[in-house]
Amino acid sequence: MSEEHFIGVETARPDAPDKVSGRTQYVHDIAVPGMLWGAIRFSDHAHARIKHVDTSAAERLPGVKAVITAYNTPEVRIGFLRDNFALKRDKVRQYRDEIAAVAASDPDTAREAASLIRVEYEPLPGVFSPEEALVEGAVLVHETDARGRPRADNVVPVRFAHHSGDIEAGKRASKFIVEGEYTVPLIQQSCLGTAGCIASFDARGNLTLIAKTQIPFLVQRDFNKALEALGLEGRNVRVVVPALGGGFGTGLDTHAYEYIAMLLAWRTGQPVKILYNREEEFAYLSPRQSATSRIRQGCDENGKLTFREIEVVQDNGAYTSWGATFPSVMLVPATSLYRVSNISFESKIVYTNNTYCQAMRGYGNPEITWPIESSIDELAEQAGMDPYEMRLLNCNQPGETTPMGLKITTCGLKECLDRTAEKLDWGTNRGKGKGVSRGFGMASVINVAGGGKIYRSDGSGIILKLDDYGNVNVSYGGVEMGQGLHSALILTVAEAFGVKPDQVVINQTDTATCPWDVGTHASRGAFMACNAAVMAARKLRQRLFEWAEEIYPQQVEESLTKARKHNPEFREPEFDWRAAASRDRFELADGILRVQGAPDRPELQVELGRLLRAIHFRKQGGGTTFAEEAFYEPPTDLPDWERGYGNMSATYAFGTQGVEVYVDEETGEVRIVRLVAAHDVGRVLNPQTLRGQIYGALAQGVGYALYEEVHTDKGRVLNPGFTDYKLPTACEMNFPIHIELIETNDPEGPFGAKGVGEPGLVPTAPAIANAIYDAVGVRIRDLPITPEKVLRALKHQRAGSPVR
Amino acid sequence: MAYEYHRSGSLEEALVLAAGDDSALIAGGTDLLVALRKRKRPAPRHMVSIRSLPELAEVSEQAGSLHIGAGVPMADVLANTVVREHLPALTAALAVIGSRQIRNVATLGGNLCNASPAADSAPPLLVYEATLELAGSSGRREIAISDFFLGPGRTVLRPGEIMTAIRVPLPGAGAQSAFLRRSRVAMDLATASLAAAYTARDGKLINLRLAAGAVAPTPLRLRRTEAFLEGKPVAEETLAEAAEIARSEVAPISDLRGSEWYRRELIGVFLSRALRPRSTRMKGSA
Repeated sequence: MSEEHFIGVETARPDAPDKVSGRTQYVHDIAVPGMLWGAIRFSDHAHARIKHVDTSAAERLPGVKAVITAYNTPEVRIGFLRDNFALKRDKVRQYRDEIAAVAASDPDTAREAASLIRVEYEPLPGVFSPEEALVEGAVLVHETDARGRPRADNVVPVRFAHHSGDIEAGKRASKFIVEGEYTVPLIQQSCLGTAGCIASFDARGNLTLIAKTQIPFLVQRDFNKALEALGLEGRNVRVVVPALGGGFGTGLDTHAYEYIAMLLAWRTGQPVKILYNREEEFAYLSPRQSATSRIRQGCDENGKLTFREIEVVQDNGAYTSWGATFPSVMLVPATSLYRVSNISFESKIVYTNNTYCQAMRGYGNPEITWPIESSIDELAEQAGMDPYEMRLLNCNQPGETTPMGLKITTCGLKECLDRTAEKLDWGTNRGKGKGVSRGFGMASVINVAGGGKIYRSDGSGIILKLDDYGNVNVSYGGVEMGQGLHSALILTVAEAFGVKPDQVVINQTDTATCPWDVGTHASRGAFMACNAAVMAARKLRQRLFEWAEEIYPQQVEESLTKARKHNPEFREPEFDWRAAASRDRFELADGILRVQGAPDRPELQVELGRLLRAIHFRKQGGGTTFAEEAFYEPPTDLPDWERGYGNMSATYAFGTQGVEVYVDEETGEVRIVRLVAAHDVGRVLNPQTLRGQIYGALAQGVGYALYEEVHTDKGRVLNPGFTDYKLPTACEMNFPIHIELIETNDPEGPFGAKGVGEPGLVPTAPAIANAIYDAVGVRIRDLPITPEKVLRALKHQRAGSPVR
Repeated sequence: MAYEYHRSGSLEEALVLAAGDDSALIAGGTDLLVALRKRKRPAPRHMVSIRSLPELAEVSEQAGSLHIGAGVPMADVLANTVVREHLPALTAALAVIGSRQIRNVATLGGNLCNASPAADSAPPLLVYEATLELAGSSGRREIAISDFFLGPGRTVLRPGEIMTAIRVPLPGAGAQSAFLRRSRVAMDLATASLAAAYTARDGKLINLRLAAGAVAPTPLRLRRTEAFLEGKPVAEETLAEAAEIARSEVAPISDLRGSEWYRRELIGVFLSRALRPRSTRMKGSA
């Protein structure tokens, strides 16, 4: 792998200049001619029957073009279980339920009109936690399912479980057992770019939707269904994806506001834009689920893990998004982080009258790694072992098949653990905490890194097209949302096809021009896109070289003729280039075609653009243009979810993070002194964007650990904005971060690379909690670890009564 | 959010404009505009800018006091060498208000007139016993800062009255002061804050003044704690007892920034840290 020109080379991101100079077009920047603005009237209750909706005052407001409700528009069902509606008819189930919407000539008028809509309610009692919702006889959030069948309880009908080995035998074999309950809060994805879309119909009823999505092709399917509801069978939705301004999982579903924009555009015959401001984003967009996990783990007298038992309950909120499938990903660490042979995993997702939730980076993995990795430290303490030694002893190995059936190909976990310990000088530093308020902790991650099959295809298509000047235009249906996908893709295309990165141009993601892709999630973007690109580049080279057999000699002849004429010292090359001009001897690199073994003379080299023009404008028999398609479907299985079994990813990423913390024992404040992040990335494609992924993930991991929480009171969001929703700022992230990139060269990865999008935020919180324990001897089991929680625990500790 | 914007050229003109119906004064606008955008208050018909009024823009030393124009941006107050040398508690407080961008426009007078219980400039000015100069259409008056705040967002300012200056007596030789604060993250409202000013003489606290922020409806002098400590030597047991008094003297609420309990705890910690001799302060403490 040493001959590569671009892979692994620090390269500036292609989108950076436009972003830093304000030229990038986000949905916020886009306007189309004749565009109206939409605004939504949301519910004033968490749970209530709608008795009457009076839109007359809104309709009378000058500038208003249309006011729609569920009573004057066709029913549009949405969501993963179709349990949600674009506009609500009889009942509201959460504060953010959409009751009516307005299209007006400007956003202020639209919002004012929305506020003029009068809604009469009959308030209903609500359920605001899974515990409340699971009580016998609790109020039902949904009286019926999507097919109209009566529902008996508030449990969301999706099931993810896993039972393997023999838990009781595992318990009997245990010398030490620990048990604990761990919680994670509701948090916001906090995209810099808030949600929005623009819906425009043509006169025939085809819709173009400029949408902030990560799954353009899956949403196309959902939106096409909605067109049917409008009586537009056979018409099509074209989904165009602008620069995203952050996704983090918010684009893994369709949203009511998108269907409302569609309905308003259809009603008015004009394009309609809906854009959320920050407060609306917080109050009306789906956050990451809160979850409570009960975990039991055991080990034998040597520290070998004997069993792991997890029950997790999640608050779904009022409707079901793809986020309800979080446990599909929880299964991966639950069954396969470290070697454990007896495993029980049960999950339950519960309807409540809280805001409904959706996906976020890590998709269940941080939620479940939090209890697993905290509990490993508790177990190590019970067993009198160094937690690092315990992790090493139970470390995953290359070539193993885990209880879930995950086929671990390459695995750098041991190296990640070792490097983390080495960089923190673990042996000397850890365990000295009490008294100096300084502590060290670590935690690891396993994450899908070769796709994550939760849909019947986990594939990605790509088209590479050449222009007459040697530029490669790439049409890929996945989404650059700020993570640096395009940077990795450009380097891969340049490397695999044989041009300079500057010659590779990535087209806007658009369902009309790009082949199908399941979406950008599960750390799959670069892995899939680059694998597909390598396949397409191979086809493109093959066809180009076939054509070059005829055209290359003509071009060389032309160059030589010119050289003979203009260069008095010209010597004929001592090389039979005519004989060498065969498809299996051509070489294309940096946009120059050569033949193997040829002397390094300019006459024997043909610049790609010149070659392409010569082929295109071929005099005898006509020429051709070049475009090649490839579809990469990873060699994985769609797991059996009720059994929790199946190899859902083509490869798995591993990592370990270690932190040193300082705890102020008087205020409970936790300060991170330094952080080590060692990640098995397969192979580094672009070091700059890779580190960017890890830095960004770490900041989110630190936020999850110490600061972030959406507070609610009976379903109402109390902190809809950054005034009271605290992300770590540069000041909180002002500590040395040491990133160790472990290259394991995965055979299935493009140039050996694994997906890296999510792992970086998964182990951060338990690593910090473990370090806090090492520092001051208190274990916090509910995130975020606020100073107040730490101080309370310290006070209890001093008073001699342990917290929980 | 439509309003008529008036840029007044002099204090007299501003007073006339401010006396009109439904008008609001604006200087830096960092509180007002946010409140309007979030619809936390109705938009006024007239917005009267007092930004860069020459009468409000001056910082000068006068007869042992520092006169700070109410319209001086915090960044300028912070950059003032007299402030930095003689008023360390105010310096420390201003340095953590908002971000640099905010401090470049937000004014010291605005921070006080907004009357947030968490206004960071208030506890230091309370312990320095600043005097506020107010001007109204019926004349000028002066008021001690401890009499200025009435409640969250409420002050003794009469309709149309404008704060023109803050006058801070410069502490004498040997005087010490400190400001302690914590917030959830940087550039955040205080969860709790405390300012202390005193002179240590023969190991005893003399002329002690304490004030706390974000732990009561208004920034607050801790007079009971002051009285308890005045003239006493600084010993750990004394500090512990004083911390207990301070914790009971404040009246915090529980909100998203912190619980009532935690705020009281912080006040106790801040008190000890502010008064403990430097050498014995915990390493790494605020």
